[in-house]
Amino acid sequence: MSKQRKRKLFFTALAFMLPFLILYTVFTIWPVIQGFYVSMHKWGLMGKQKYIGFDNYIKFAGDKKFWSALGNTCKFVVITAPMLVIIALILALLANRQTVMKKGLRISYYLPSILSVSVASFIAKNTFSPYNGLLNGVLHQLHILPANTELQFLLDPKLVWVVISVMTVWWTIGFTMMLYISALQDIDMGIYEAASIDGATSTQQLFRITLPLLRPTTELVVLLQLIACFKVFGQIQLITGGGPAGSTKPLIQYIYETAFTKNNLGYAAAMSYVLFGILLVLSLAQLIMQKRGGDK
Amino acid sequence: MKTKKTAGRIALDILSIFFAVVFLAPVIWALFVSLQHEGKQISSIVSWFTPPYTISNYFDIIKNSSVPLWFINSLFIAVIVTVATVLVTGMAAYALALIPFKGSQLFMIYVLIGMMVPGEATIVPLFITVKDLKLIDSYAGMVLPSIAGSMNLIIMTTFFKGLPRELIEATEIDGGGKLTVFFKIVMPLSKSIIATICIFSFVGSWNNYLWPLLCAMSNEMFTLPVGIPTFTSTYTVDYVKPMTASMVASLPMIILYIIFERQIVAGITQGAVKG
Repeated sequence: MSKQRKRKLFFTALAFMLPFLILYTVFTIWPVIQGFYVSMHKWGLMGKQKYIGFDNYIKFAGDKKFWSALGNTCKFVVITAPMLVIIALILALLANRQTVMKKGLRISYYLPSILSVSVASFIAKNTFSPYNGLLNGVLHQLHILPANTELQFLLDPKLVWVVISVMTVWWTIGFTMMLYISALQDIDMGIYEAASIDGATSTQQLFRITLPLLRPTTELVVLLQLIACFKVFGQIQLITGGGPAGSTKPLIQYIYETAFTKNNLGYAAAMSYVLFGILLVLSLAQLIMQKRGGDK
Repeated sequence: MKTKKTAGRIALDILSIFFAVVFLAPVIWALFVSLQHEGKQISSIVSWFTPPYTISNYFDIIKNSSVPLWFINSLFIAVIVTVATVLVTGMAAYALALIPFKGSQLFMIYVLIGMMVPGEATIVPLFITVKDLKLIDSYAGMVLPSIAGSMNLIIMTTFFKGLPRELIEATEIDGGGKLTVFFKIVMPLSKSIIATICIFSFVGSWNNYLWPLLCAMSNEMFTLPVGIPTFTSTYTVDYVKPMTASMVASLPMIILYIIFERQIVAGITQGAVKG
């Protein structure tokens, strides 16, 4: 290939990539660099105030609210991620059976996932609200809960976690379930037939064939859910506002408030790097896993 | 043995229906609430479901609230993001996959870095960047940051690499330029992957919450996810109207979902597993 032609190819390729490269550089890469710069400064909504070196990073150690928000995010991950994986698997197994309801079940389980976060949160908040809320109402109707008692889900520091995790499972599980269903459909039916002939019960088939074959999917799902759970923000902010008394406030909400209500963008940028670090490790793990899975 | 098997089947059927009811109940309840007259006395949970019904709440929301405006904003932004994502990402993927040029590996690595950057962790500097560009509270500010994603680019590049080279080379020999090849050969051959990217981008933009929350300042720029909470929070006791607003915001998506269930699900799972 002549030098001139090579050069022409390079510029054609560059022209094709240019819109992407500009947008990607300005809105994905540049903020990472600028974030670090901002984190080294006292920085308000109006702009840079002064250089303070690593002070924002040293500030973490003594900031109880930071540790509490990070703790809340971790608590959310620990409670919700396992539920999301296990229940998604159960739903996928249920919806993948040969029944006339197959399509109906899939649609039902997935339907909440298409609601936007604000609608899902509003419905969930009222489902759990006292007096005329759905859950309290149903419990009254079935006489499980005495008529004069209301479960104050949103005011109780323990019950509020039930609301948040149940809502998250309800609202986001459809996607994970679909991943499991598509993995289940990739399993060769011949294996089950052979197992049946050999006298394996359906329970044995589940534990000896299905679950082991789903292992790669489960590994991917676990990581995806860990990443998603660490990013929790919208539904908590909308349902509890971080309350009662900051007991559910996740890290992103604390970052958001520090930046935009307390006008301290520098400290918020520094805290973002902690979240970045956690997510970086998890997404690296995901990438390695997908590379491995992609080779099959 | 046989009865035991049927008993097991029935138990599983009941369990699956139970879950279906649990998943649907809040949505169905919300729908019934939206059909009630405002101010109805609710003596027990049953009263939410009993007639008389009315659809006047819907007319009221559509005529007298900002919900339709937010709906149009959401739709407009989602459509622009989707179209721009397909074009911009498709062109870049075409260059990386099908134009042999020096340095393509380097560009690939540069683009891979983005996979490691979670949007949530760069939201503060992104805000500063967009503010410096004077794009806060504008459609451009809402749209531009959502277009160029590494994941989409990698999915498309991988797909383009698998396209039949002969067809592309034949068109080039016939005198077709790179643009012709891109629009007439590459894109039409990639309908399935484009559908996946479209669904991903559209749903992602439609449900985006954190970014519009920062970028949209005025009521006129709100999208549904940002607007709905400002609407619902003005009603503290009676939630008939806010439920109606939620339904107005959701019903079009619910209906689209039920019609295109197969395609949407295929698109979503494909997008997650590939790449």
